[in-house]
Amino acid sequence: MTTRTMILVVLAVAACGRNDQRKVIARDVAVRPDLSHATQADLAVEVDQAERRGTWREVRKRWEGQRLHWTVTRHASLCASASACNVAAFPVKRPAQYGWLPGLTFAPGEYAKLDAWCGNTPSCEIEIEGTLSRLELSGELPTSVHFDRVRVLGAHKS
Amino acid sequence: MNKKLLSAAGLSIIAGAITATASSHREAPMIGEDQFADNTDVYAFISPGDSNKLVLVADYVPLLLPQSGPNFYRFAEDAQYDINIDNDGDAVPDWTYRYEFETAVKNGNTFLYNVGAVDSLDSPNLNVTQTYSLWKINRKDGSRQRIMSGAPVAPWNVGKRSFPNYEPVALQAIRDANGTKSFAGPRDEPFFVDLHVFDLLGVGGAPTTDGVNVMSLVLEVPITEIAKGGTRPTSSTDMTSVVGINASASRPQIRILRKGRDADDYGKMIQVSRLGWPLINEVIVPLKDKDKYNRSEPKNDVENFGAYILDPEVPKLLNLVLGAGCPATPAGGRTDIVGLLAPNGTKPADLLRINIAQGQTNAQSHFPNGRALADDVTDTLLTVACNNGGAIGDGVNANDKAFTTSFPYLASPHSGNP
Repeated sequence: MTTRTMILVVLAVAACGRNDQRKVIARDVAVRPDLSHATQADLAVEVDQAERRGTWREVRKRWEGQRLHWTVTRHASLCASASACNVAAFPVKRPAQYGWLPGLTFAPGEYAKLDAWCGNTPSCEIEIEGTLSRLELSGELPTSVHFDRVRVLGAHKS
Repeated sequence: MNKKLLSAAGLSIIAGAITATASSHREAPMIGEDQFADNTDVYAFISPGDSNKLVLVADYVPLLLPQSGPNFYRFAEDAQYDINIDNDGDAVPDWTYRYEFETAVKNGNTFLYNVGAVDSLDSPNLNVTQTYSLWKINRKDGSRQRIMSGAPVAPWNVGKRSFPNYEPVALQAIRDANGTKSFAGPRDEPFFVDLHVFDLLGVGGAPTTDGVNVMSLVLEVPITEIAKGGTRPTSSTDMTSVVGINASASRPQIRILRKGRDADDYGKMIQVSRLGWPLINEVIVPLKDKDKYNRSEPKNDVENFGAYILDPEVPKLLNLVLGAGCPATPAGGRTDIVGLLAPNGTKPADLLRINIAQGQTNAQSHFPNGRALADDVTDTLLTVACNNGGAIGDGVNANDKAFTTSFPYLASPHSGNP
């Protein structure tokens, strides 16, 4: 191989590498939008689409790791302690369209705040901010949602 | 009790929407294509003869016609049939009793299940036989103990010519190992319900599961064998006084069909069916999630399916077709149903939970504290689901055959040629 040929090969490889990097960056930007204002209804729409299109992985990548701000319902019997807390993402609308009840792992002190606000009220609407740490989504297993580092921003007894 | 019998159209539409079959018989699309791994019902009750023992019944292979020859029903050889027990309330199994089956054919040159009258399990006339190994598996550390091996499966009740006196032959299949009794084989289908839902919205009150059989696994175990710490709890209100039971079936992940020989199975075992309470996957979980339910674990039921329990479809259907007057689901959801799934503060899950504390007796073993064979769970669950202060039923209130007071408690299977 001549020097000129070697230079061309090196340049070509480098160029391809740069293109690949640009693609990766572009793809990451495309799949990780700002979802801070997205609601559970937005997620539900994407879950439904994923069921039809088989795009479970893409949806999971878009949502996992996002810091979200949702209003959910805390039922005392399903969230009786900081270590076992699931909340309803949607109000009762017979029959339920989705089975999942997001699980919550609280930031320090936040469950105590929730407990103080809601007490033993059977049903209490709460505003939370948390990181969607796990979104189980596939054609094989049921959908499930889990939030970490949850902060409780407000509550309204119903 | 004033029971409101569902009207013909009402029952049909309700049950049709629920799914079509009995407690968990062919309840989901995929398991409907895998009959031998389809578990149908689970029962758990304190033994009527010894209150220190717990009876566990797991039924599989639904709705079997007695005259189903020449290849009469059996258990699958390539499936694992598990009875799982959670003894500390976290909805994670602590013990599993696992049945694994093998089939033998004495003479492959005949199509006959038996070549003459059969008067014992050892009869040379019994051509097709099954045996099983029963394992007790510690799910915490994975250790396994084989409790029984080569235990016989009771034969099919082919007919009066083949089995002039069937039941004594079948009961020879009972095995006892250090106080643990086991029976595997065909029995009369113990679940009773009206299934005329498929006959163009047919009548209510017809005992449509009469006359059919099912494949049963029956275990009677010392309570100390399965209780947390090996001791029967003294307080009936403690979380560990309640054990949660479910049954499941698993198949190998990969099956390769061969042109010139039998299929090969590879890979780990994948759960394809499970059941704790009757009717959960039927009436609570909607069609889109039924197969996923069968593959999932009870410990995740709230996270995966909790909203369906809080906001069930059944009352709406009862109102729609029957005008049953079921009140609207409260804004707070049906937490009463969640509570039934979580006695003594246990984690809510589709597990059949029963109190095993000292002093508990067979008389107290009635759904939802365990489930006795004669419990009319359809009526109970319809009544709970509607929650209108009255009672609702399907009009079928008892099994066609009487249950027995001795092991294995289920009635003898119907004969293929009575």
